[in-house]
Amino acid sequence: MSATDTVSIAPSLESRSLASVSERAIAISWTIWLAFTGIVVFRIGSMVDVAWHKSVGRDEFWTPGHSTMALGGLLFGLAGLFEIIKATRAGASERHDGSARIMGMYGPVGAFLLVWANLAMLFSSPFDDWWHKTYGLDLKFVTPPHLLLMIGWFTGQAGALFWLASAINRSTGVMRERLGRMFVIVAAIHLMFLPTLGLVGRSTLHTASCYLAVALVIPASMIATGRASRLRWGCTLVGAAYMGIIIASIWILPLFPAQPKLGPVYQQVTHLIPPQFPLLFIVPGFLADLFLQRTESRSSWLKALLIGPAFVLGLMAVQWPFGDFLMSPASRNWIFGTAYLPYYEPAVNPWQFKVLEKSTGAFVMTLAGALAISVLTTRFGLAWGEWMRRLRR
Amino acid sequence: MKNSLKTLFLFVALLLPGAHAHAHVGSADVYYEGNAGPYPLFVTVRMPEVVPGVAKIEVRSASPDVHSVNIVLLRLTGPGSKLPSTPDVALRSKQDPQFFVSELWFMEYGGLQARIEVDGAKGKAQLSVPIASFPRQQQPMAPWMRVMGAVMLLGLTLSLVPITAGIAREGTLPPGEALQPANRRNARIATVLTLLATGWAIYSARGLWNEEDAVYARNVDLLKPPRVEATLRDGNRLVLRLASPLLLPVAGKGRETVPVNLEEVIPDHGYLMHVFLVGMPGMDKVWHLHFDRAEGGAFSKQLPAMPAGEYQIFADVVDKSGYPWTLLGKVKLPAIAGTAPVGDDSRWEGARYAAPSSAVAVAPLPGGGRMVWERPAGPLQANVGTSFKFRVEEADGSPARDLEPYMGMAAHMVALRSDLSVFAHVHTNGSVPMAALDLAQDGLRASSDASDATGMAHHHHASLPASFSIPYGVPSAGDYRFFIQIKRSGQVQTAAFDAKVQ
Repeated sequence: MSATDTVSIAPSLESRSLASVSERAIAISWTIWLAFTGIVVFRIGSMVDVAWHKSVGRDEFWTPGHSTMALGGLLFGLAGLFEIIKATRAGASERHDGSARIMGMYGPVGAFLLVWANLAMLFSSPFDDWWHKTYGLDLKFVTPPHLLLMIGWFTGQAGALFWLASAINRSTGVMRERLGRMFVIVAAIHLMFLPTLGLVGRSTLHTASCYLAVALVIPASMIATGRASRLRWGCTLVGAAYMGIIIASIWILPLFPAQPKLGPVYQQVTHLIPPQFPLLFIVPGFLADLFLQRTESRSSWLKALLIGPAFVLGLMAVQWPFGDFLMSPASRNWIFGTAYLPYYEPAVNPWQFKVLEKSTGAFVMTLAGALAISVLTTRFGLAWGEWMRRLRR
Repeated sequence: MKNSLKTLFLFVALLLPGAHAHAHVGSADVYYEGNAGPYPLFVTVRMPEVVPGVAKIEVRSASPDVHSVNIVLLRLTGPGSKLPSTPDVALRSKQDPQFFVSELWFMEYGGLQARIEVDGAKGKAQLSVPIASFPRQQQPMAPWMRVMGAVMLLGLTLSLVPITAGIAREGTLPPGEALQPANRRNARIATVLTLLATGWAIYSARGLWNEEDAVYARNVDLLKPPRVEATLRDGNRLVLRLASPLLLPVAGKGRETVPVNLEEVIPDHGYLMHVFLVGMPGMDKVWHLHFDRAEGGAFSKQLPAMPAGEYQIFADVVDKSGYPWTLLGKVKLPAIAGTAPVGDDSRWEGARYAAPSSAVAVAPLPGGGRMVWERPAGPLQANVGTSFKFRVEEADGSPARDLEPYMGMAAHMVALRSDLSVFAHVHTNGSVPMAALDLAQDGLRASSDASDATGMAHHHHASLPASFSIPYGVPSAGDYRFFIQIKRSGQVQTAAFDAKVQ
């Protein structure tokens, strides 16, 4: 490694002296930046792709969404590859010290995951093409080639989170804070990916099933990443970033003109259709941070017992009345975007709540289930977060 | 190691589902000749093998003053038939400026329509062509694709194991520290868990894949020509009843289907069901009869006099959504005592199919007249849309002057392949059923003020010209017999022509 090279991470306090840290120019390695950019670009691409499917409909290989996703995948794949090459060729160095040895090569474990993710996603593309030729253009999301793409994308997110976490854990001060902010963005992108969120729409906000779907995955991801960011308000920031990204897309995507190119058309569409307004995760995130700060010395199970139900009930307390607002004409504007409907939705009334639980008893039981599950997923999130706080390579 | 790799490779290759192959059934492409306002068009819709898939729509304008052609796909009836998507601008051929091609995604099964908007020197005009959209077959996975898939799947699985083991072993190891036995134990646990997880993932994906494959195969089957059971009642009443209920699958909705009620079929040329009884073997006899509704969705007909023998049944109906169904069946009949066919019913008897030795194409008609097929030089080509041109002559060779519309058309043609794998009932305006065409024109009138923009060639004149043409493209190579039916002086007459298609 030449003297002009920036170090990828500051050496850990445990193994290096503080003096040596301050002597070096502390900057985040370009490979980490590249991986981070790849993840963000891929997410932008997938948001454009979803909007494309809601407004234009016709699928081709090189739509703007697909191209952007391909670019993002390529960027984070290359980032991982460059980091592995650098670390493997580095010899005895800090970079080498902070590496795991996998298949004879060296590098942060996250970098290996990023390369693997890129390969899986690359392979899913011709597979998907074959699928379309054999069974027709897929009208549903869950197909084996899409699953492979999703597994690749999930692994990519995990790779970026692990790489950033290990860098955070070996750094201090400003550097740690900067890495923490990058980590929060990736964590928010990871939150958007979680599968059960797909079941949660505006029309389900007055059901217990909605909060069960949230309890199944969200506390685990938000608490784990909030903790691993090592920021005081980590969970709050992850929730805020999640909301910010989606709100930004609601404001930006409709600026692009688009028209349906596939029939049958049930809704007049003249521009890209953005996602629905995000869930108000900033509130349970804030509650989680608050509880975490107050129960620092308590056992993990006690924390989970407090934070899980607080998370679900806190979300419900704000989301329930906010759901009423989203159904009202007052929300049908560019800020909340509830008037945007995909062309294929033959909605009789898109501003009506669904009833999923047939009786009060069913509602209470489902909600009780959500609360119970939130304890378990919070406990899992705490454990996962602790593990990420221990990552060093 | 090498052997275990080979075993694993074979195992993964076996996990890829097997492929189904179906024979090509019938005549899926649509040929249509009609007018968009002042512009005469010849439209060919090349249907995709798989739906959802891309169809190629070719439009040839007979007049040179067409500037542009836009095409949009809609449902024929019901929701989705009103709001058009953005029309696709058809590409104009550089070599032939009167030829336009558009590629459109067909996403749904059932009765659809291609709405063609023409702009030219005489202003804008529209034409709607009804289309029956259905998946025809599944393509098996190419061997190289199977091998590549197995290699990739294996590569991804085998590389993930050392990565997760590495994460478990060294992820939390502080820089510079040596590995502890606990780290190695973690790696072993991770290896086992990863193998279990990937095995489970591949197994579940395989289940998903097999299910998708089965659903698709079922949809292909559901949209194949349905079977009818034929029974003879009271000595001469033939009753046709579906062997199993008709179901229209919904593309992309798994095993969801919409039941099709044959009690709700719509009249085509004024009749609910057109039945062709073809004498087998050799296609040496043809009865074209019109069946009426019978009890419980069945159809029946008092048969005219018919000789005993085996008959192949082709029964055409159009359901209320505008989707045409050809029901297939077989029946062995005793000699039927009855009258000669009356009204629009007809019969023809002649020689068994013989491969034609020369290009002479003249068929005798009752009463001394004849029909001449003005065949272009050279053999007929499969999948090429052409105009089948015919001329009717009196016994003395002069053009016939007594042609009348037969069920609203100058002529009807049935194209039959000798192995009965192709049956198509076409007219002077092409291969679309009249009932579906009426629905398409209704939609067009509702959507535009130009109510005269109709492509229908209604022939309500007292007497028709002695020459006519029928647009069609034979779907596959083989031996074909073409039956041409016309009406002269109130009597239906049939001519038969044989041809080898390459």
